Amino acid sequence: MIVAIIRKELLAVVRDGRLLVLAFSVFALLSGFFLASISEHQQLQQEKQAVGASAKQQWDTQGVKNPHAAAHFGIYVFKPDSPLASIDPGLRHYTGQTLWLEPHKRNGARFSPAADQGLASRFGQASAGFVLVALLPLLVVALAFNAVTLEREQGTLRMLHSLGVSAMQLLLGKFIGLLLAFLLVLLPAMGLAMIILYRNFDLTGDDSLRLLALGASFFIYYAVFAALAMSTSIHFHSSRLALFALLAFWSGSVLIAPRLGAAAAEAWMPIPAATAFWAAIKDDIQQGLDNDGDHEKREALFNVQLLKQYAATRIEDLPVGYAALKRSFNDGYSARVHALHFDRLSDAFERQSRFIHIASLLGPSIAMRSVSMTLSGMDLAHQRHFEDAAENYRHYFIGLTDDWDRERSHGTEHGAQGHDDDWASVKAFRYQSPPVGFALHHALADLLVLLAWLVAALIALLFSAKRLKP
Amino acid sequence: MSANKPLLEARQLVVKYKNYRAIDGLDLSVPAGCVYALLGGNGAGKTSTINTFLGFNRPTSGNVFIDGESPEQNPAVVRAKLAYLPENVALYEYLSGVENLSFFCTLADIRLSRQHAHDLLANTGLQSDAHDRRVSTYSKGMRQKVGLAIASAKQAKVMLLDEPTSGLDPSAANDFARRIRAAADLGMAVLMATHDLFNAKQVADRIGIMKAGRLVEEFDAHTVAHDELEHKYLAHARGLL
Repeated sequence: MIVAIIRKELLAVVRDGRLLVLAFSVFALLSGFFLASISEHQQLQQEKQAVGASAKQQWDTQGVKNPHAAAHFGIYVFKPDSPLASIDPGLRHYTGQTLWLEPHKRNGARFSPAADQGLASRFGQASAGFVLVALLPLLVVALAFNAVTLEREQGTLRMLHSLGVSAMQLLLGKFIGLLLAFLLVLLPAMGLAMIILYRNFDLTGDDSLRLLALGASFFIYYAVFAALAMSTSIHFHSSRLALFALLAFWSGSVLIAPRLGAAAAEAWMPIPAATAFWAAIKDDIQQGLDNDGDHEKREALFNVQLLKQYAATRIEDLPVGYAALKRSFNDGYSARVHALHFDRLSDAFERQSRFIHIASLLGPSIAMRSVSMTLSGMDLAHQRHFEDAAENYRHYFIGLTDDWDRERSHGTEHGAQGHDDDWASVKAFRYQSPPVGFALHHALADLLVLLAWLVAALIALLFSAKRLKP
Repeated sequence: MSANKPLLEARQLVVKYKNYRAIDGLDLSVPAGCVYALLGGNGAGKTSTINTFLGFNRPTSGNVFIDGESPEQNPAVVRAKLAYLPENVALYEYLSGVENLSFFCTLADIRLSRQHAHDLLANTGLQSDAHDRRVSTYSKGMRQKVGLAIASAKQAKVMLLDEPTSGLDPSAANDFARRIRAAADLGMAVLMATHDLFNAKQVADRIGIMKAGRLVEEFDAHTVAHDELEHKYLAHARGLL
């Protein structure tokens, strides 16, 4: 019986001209955004590779100079985007993708001009991801808003009841039929997207797993809208009222909730301004953390320990370069302060993100948007992973230059020199994106929110079934 | 089964919608082979009676039975025994006549071959060139023929008709009446709610007049004169009786 209902629903979709128009629109919209995203993604990757190679070339050919001066030349590193970023570029426009690595200071890509934009900007850039999260639920609504009201209005509901079809069988058949019809409408666009994706990128097994998880998450997301649309269709006796109610829910979920959540998070859990952030780091380096003492006191203590270590009485008599040692010491302290503040900042960002999820009570779109960004590797967690890797790399190459500076000079003399061979021996930055497990771990809360919405929507459907009268 | 055993029966049936008594102590019985026409004005309780037999309404008190089974207690058994044709037979516009018939039969747990579906539709008098056309192109009479085909496929013992000839042209109404009569002659019990006196007299064996949820008059359709029936019907409708 359920199979017959599913088959009938599918036939309705295939034969309904309006739905073919919808399918074509979805195809055009999704393909257009996707092709634009692919093009932007490829252009960005090419630029990153070109600039990265050029920057390394410049680094390698600095000529003869002091190693620390060479370190100050700095190195640009770039976050290689996952191919899935062409589906959802996530925070790309917000965080920036480039880091300038230099001695003494940890720079943050996120303090880009975009950081001055509102928090809501994290939730919406026009992309294939935006179409999938924001617009396609409208297609589900268009397919489902009159799933039951139309049966009631046309009288077929009475016919079905008179034949002994239970409300549960009818709704289950319609629900599955609706989801299959939706997939049918979506299939051409998705098929094209997959072909383009697999043709243009060397997708790894990890990418495929992320893609699979993304597809499953979107399926849950659309199932939530489908179940709620069907419940609404049962609740209201008129198709028009059901449509209005569903559009209101869609607006709440897609448009209002992210902005409301962002505004509340900004008000309740503000992120420090960039100037205040850097001023606090500078202050902590100067004044010292806890009982470490201020910069001068720490340096004086370091000098005493250094003289003791090398059994010298004067700095000038040290067998190694003092400047490099002092710099390493100060940079080490600076790195500790930076790490502390960056961790606090990241935690603050995460607290904000979690707080925003309170607005998920209005709809599942915030959670889906976050899952999409995370599985595409374009969220805060992946950005933090990249920045931490870049920071480790900064320690590596600054450490190398400090070693050369220290070993090639002594006392307070500044004559250490490095050559192109030295600069070229610095390994290029190779960033390894974290595995799918990392993404799933960070998307867990959002996935649970999605599942909670699915359970709630199915319960609503179950209760609606009891209300279904001919 | 005894020939006199009622296939459709209401005993002291009361159905209330909040404080409104839509059916008020109805006793009714329709045996196999009998067409019972329920006459009455709007709000007399005809459709409520049909809905209660269908199990759409729950009796406030009293009972209804279809072939001895209660629609409340054994809805699946009851629905397998009855066929229902509303005023406008509701079909899926984007399916053809054959597809609608096959779909509704599948829901009633009846597997039809394509040929059998065509035969059933042909038996109702639906032109063969219409069988595979979408029902959005069908007239009301053609839709009713699909409804009759569903009833025929189900081999229903009982048929419930709600204003079946309303809006049909005289030829289609006459054809429909002939087919209902034929179904009853094969042993089906038919309960038909209608405003159409002519149709009731033409097809029914018994005629009841309902007013304010009560069965106020009953006639043998074969013996009552059309004028008498008309007079009584109008008098009840105008509150003169």
